[in-house]
Amino acid sequence: MKSALLCIAVVLASTIVSAHHSSAGIDRTKSVELVGTIKQFSWTNPHSWMEVEVPDQKGGTVVWKVEMTSPAYLVRAGWKSTTVKTGDEVKVTVRPLRDGSPGGLFVSVLLADGRSFTERPIATTPPASPNP
Amino acid sequence: MARALMLAAAIGLLIPPQVLAQAPAVPLNPLAPSNLAKPRPKPPFDLTGTWFIDMAGSQNSWRFGPPPTANKMTPETLKHFEASQKAQKEGKAYRDDIGQCWPAGLPLIMTRVWPVAMIQLPTAIYMVSHFMNSLRIVYLDGRPHSDPDVVVRTFNGESIGKWEGDTLVVDTMHFVNDHHWIDAGIPATDALHIVERLRLLKGGAVLEIEYTLTDPKSWEGEMKWTKRWNRVDDQEVTEVTCTPDLNSHIPSTQSEFQAR
Repeated sequence: MKSALLCIAVVLASTIVSAHHSSAGIDRTKSVELVGTIKQFSWTNPHSWMEVEVPDQKGGTVVWKVEMTSPAYLVRAGWKSTTVKTGDEVKVTVRPLRDGSPGGLFVSVLLADGRSFTERPIATTPPASPNP
Repeated sequence: MARALMLAAAIGLLIPPQVLAQAPAVPLNPLAPSNLAKPRPKPPFDLTGTWFIDMAGSQNSWRFGPPPTANKMTPETLKHFEASQKAQKEGKAYRDDIGQCWPAGLPLIMTRVWPVAMIQLPTAIYMVSHFMNSLRIVYLDGRPHSDPDVVVRTFNGESIGKWEGDTLVVDTMHFVNDHHWIDAGIPATDALHIVERLRLLKGGAVLEIEYTLTDPKSWEGEMKWTKRWNRVDDQEVTEVTCTPDLNSHIPSTQSEFQAR
């Protein structure tokens, strides 16, 4: 978990509408796996977000800014405000920014205790639509 | 004495009498008990509840676009539209004002993929979108549209509703003239006029609205869309604000992805 691991994989693009902003800067054809530690996690409207500190090849770290959906949807996916905390070691999958700068749209997180979370509802009666 | 009176009369002829400005009649607000108590026919339905745009048919059903080819754009709109298409090819957002915390405005605020709470009274329907808590009031108390020289223009406009059989017809005008978009590259202007025909279907579980949009400063003719919302009893409309620091944590809103 300590080492930097950036795997870029081509995946099928899925169309998701934008909420507070356009997501034109996101490359939905790719996914990037970040292995690092949570620098900050914000449980807030209209978007939650996290910053993930990822070791780079030069012995330093790069901070990735990760956009998430609103808490109303994260709750339906099993999240709590305490699901991730500063300092947690995590593996986070994101759809990256098109220009290669360290940021992207959240897809999933794998915690050190083996639990994983997405933004997809786990309830038997999901809401009308997932909302980024 | 006589000269003094003649002088006073002459001065009086030179100075016109003071004319006090006439205050316009101000209607009772929709929450005024005396307005609520006025006798009115029973409305055919009650929209009170929380509604969410139906996207079962298409993930793009929230959009009011792309514009039908039948609607010829004005030169200014065509310029915006072509710039928007170019930006899209470059992976950029064209004038994403909503992403920069400008209000979405009507009609987009109704379909912004967030729930909308509606409270219907005999005099008005109060609508609050979960998205930035945008407030929209549809007046049902019989008032006409405001004097265009007095009204404060807004992103949601001024909505006046009238019942026609089982349909509520809502006429909205008096919009702002900038930072307001119908769809990517399609600007709304202060000439935007929206007519909505609202019906409740499936025993009140589904709200259908037929939209007719005209804006002769942006395109020729009418744009028509029909949207549906599902009643969602398990979603809350709570406080949401676009704080000044929001976008510093949302990298796709940063300038390199924005085309102006």
